[in-house]
Amino acid sequence: MTGLPSTPVVSVEGLTKRFPGVTALDGMSFEIRPREVVGLIGENGAGKSTLLKTLVGLNQPDEGTIRVRGEAVNMRGVAEAAAAGIGMVFQEQSLVPNITVAENILLGAEGAGVRGGLYRWGRLAADVQVQLDKIGSDVAPTARTDTLTFAQRQMVEVAKVLAIEERTAAEPVVLLDEPTSVLERDEIDVLFAQVERLRQRASVVFVSHRLDEVLAVSDRVYVLRNGQVVAEVDPNVVDAGELHRLMIGRAAGGSHYHDEAQVDCSSDVRIAVKGLATDRCKELSFEIKAGEVVGVAGVQGSGREDLCRALFGAVPGVRGTVELDGQVVALDSPRAAVRAGIGFVPSERRTEGVVGAMSVAENLSMAHVDQVCRGPVLQKAEEGRLVQRWIDRLGIRTPSGRTAIGTLSGGNQQKVVLARWMVNEDLRLLILDHPTRGLDVGAKSEVYALIRDLAARGCAVLLLSDTLEETLALSHRVLVMKDGRIVRCLDAPRGDKPDPVAIMEEMV
Amino acid sequence: MSTQTPTRDLPTRPSVRRPSRETVVTVMPTVVLVLLVVLLSLRNPDFLSTRSLLTVVDSAAPLMVLASGVTLVIICGGIDLSIAAQASLASVLLALWVPSLGAAAAIPVVAVTTLAGALQGVVHVAAKVPSFIVTLGGLALWSGLALVISGASTIPITDLDAIGWAFTKVAGFPSAVLVALAVVAVIAAVMRLTPYGRWVEAIGHAEGAARLSGVPVSGAKIAAFAASGACAGLAGVLLVARTYSGAPSLGSTLLLPAVAAVVVGGTAITGGHGGILKTVIGALIIVVLRVGLGLIGVGPGPESIFYGVLTVAAVALTIDRAKLAVLK
Repeated sequence: MTGLPSTPVVSVEGLTKRFPGVTALDGMSFEIRPREVVGLIGENGAGKSTLLKTLVGLNQPDEGTIRVRGEAVNMRGVAEAAAAGIGMVFQEQSLVPNITVAENILLGAEGAGVRGGLYRWGRLAADVQVQLDKIGSDVAPTARTDTLTFAQRQMVEVAKVLAIEERTAAEPVVLLDEPTSVLERDEIDVLFAQVERLRQRASVVFVSHRLDEVLAVSDRVYVLRNGQVVAEVDPNVVDAGELHRLMIGRAAGGSHYHDEAQVDCSSDVRIAVKGLATDRCKELSFEIKAGEVVGVAGVQGSGREDLCRALFGAVPGVRGTVELDGQVVALDSPRAAVRAGIGFVPSERRTEGVVGAMSVAENLSMAHVDQVCRGPVLQKAEEGRLVQRWIDRLGIRTPSGRTAIGTLSGGNQQKVVLARWMVNEDLRLLILDHPTRGLDVGAKSEVYALIRDLAARGCAVLLLSDTLEETLALSHRVLVMKDGRIVRCLDAPRGDKPDPVAIMEEMV
Repeated sequence: MSTQTPTRDLPTRPSVRRPSRETVVTVMPTVVLVLLVVLLSLRNPDFLSTRSLLTVVDSAAPLMVLASGVTLVIICGGIDLSIAAQASLASVLLALWVPSLGAAAAIPVVAVTTLAGALQGVVHVAAKVPSFIVTLGGLALWSGLALVISGASTIPITDLDAIGWAFTKVAGFPSAVLVALAVVAVIAAVMRLTPYGRWVEAIGHAEGAARLSGVPVSGAKIAAFAASGACAGLAGVLLVARTYSGAPSLGSTLLLPAVAAVVVGGTAITGGHGGILKTVIGALIIVVLRVGLGLIGVGPGPESIFYGVLTVAAVALTIDRAKLAVLK
């Protein structure tokens, strides 16, 4: 890192942040120099989002220091971060929808735009135009924010961050958190052009789990894994395979996904979906056979999340028919779905997967509590034995069944959620919505093994996953969804998986 | 911005072993109750006599029954503001029906308020209206109904034998106390021995997770409101037994003390954390406090000042702020 004339704008040393059950940042160190684009890359759970939140004061680090232009700072919120010259474009956008672009950009920093408590609209618009000009945006300052497209709003956010410049009299640091995740292809190109433009007046941190994008825009790339910086690489000389190995900690593929355990499914149709339609899904028809894992690939907004919820009775107003083993089932509530032998592992584990304040046992027996009831009366001893059996079988690391599940690590929580459905000997369909989100590599591998086991037992599995690689590796067949429709269906037999690049092209 | 490594010193874990918040919330109400009793007996040594204590528990009975029912709704994360109005309605109906039905009149009365509670639950669940609004509307509806039915007047009961059962002594215990204990025992049994208890707890903590685990969320909520209605009806019956009359505003002063009893007992108004036995302690605190305030010369008017302050303070202590993204 020596030999460079300029001092870093931001330097981070030994940053550590712990949450109950997980160390999100584990002694992370890196620096951001003037007018450069730094790429941060890592799998989900590598610590990218936590790091960014810490850099804008939304998290307080447990250990370590953040220095901005040589001075240690202790930021307690986005306002203080802005005062230090750091601003973030949020993944979930942070603009207020029902006010104008001008008000949003200068929200809380109106300066001369407000006099005597009243807006001076002319001055406000002029001040905002300066910011919009910096990025060459043609959005009108007087436009209502909710009338803009998603990409336009993202640009407004960038302009909002650049407005920091006027206040700090120094070049700002712009943090872009997964900025491409919800953009169309051509919008992504516009964004990349903007990043080039930003380089003239700011430092940019570009965060993504998409390798190609990070390599395309960054001057330097830090690879994050398990809350640590595991490598700093030059995008011009690195090869993608090497980066990939760094990100996941070992070569891709191999036994991580327990490929050898993918057994052929039976020819019996387990579930037949005919003309399923919701607000976001249009006339979906497909089948899953007993013992088959069907992966659904698609970008955000493709309707695949809606499909999962509709099959579990968690979406109102679903049309079409669903047959389980030849019998039509009415899926008008999750309870009806559970009774029909369907299980669901939701993507938001902490709010929808587990009840954090309740015990491992209560969470584990929640869906099929009737198994440990005699009449209406709960048989606590029987429940205790059942829970202990599953704790042993899945290797759930918990002090006891009475421990509050919220204190366990994400992987162990997820194993409890899986066990919740596996206790049903007659489980017919398990819907997995991002089952490995936020899990470490070891826990992921254990979850993969459980999915293989379930399929081998004859359970049908519908799988949504963060990465295409995971989807392909685990599935017998892959459905590609786009704009609420199934656009392709590909076989993915063991040892002959389809090409991810081709699928990616179908998705976008 | 000139401080040196300010983040380095942040403790990662409390270095001294302090009792957890959970423990404090569980133990505090009992400590407060004991303290209050000790203070009262210091001022008036007669307070600790069996007769005096039984009188206190006896006067706590309607409040305890009322608070027990609403506890279920609050653990679900909702609120039932209509309980006092339902108790008033029950008192009017009982006074009207005793002449023809005798002691059995209590049964249809409780059935009516159970249905009233269930109806509120159905509206809350089906129309997706916050329970606060549904039961605020219910408060007006049931008290209006009581006014209309009673002709806006107190209806005395002349057939004293018919409700004598609720105001007598069984083996030395006031029968109202036995009724209250029975209600508490039944609710406690259902909460502990059947899955229902963990269903309401799960709904209160994380309704989304409960629903996606196949918990019958709507049914459990409606049942909680129905139980709250049933308890309100029973509380109304106990009030009639005390005053030998039914009146359209007989229970109206009991709403705040009942909610206060629940939160003072340590049940979180945000749902999830709580229990019926906590409410028993809470109701006793409220009643002992009422006696104490009388002893130091505070009349029933200013009493409500104390309930108001106590309720806000207890909520401030027991609320689960992790659940409040924004406070409204």
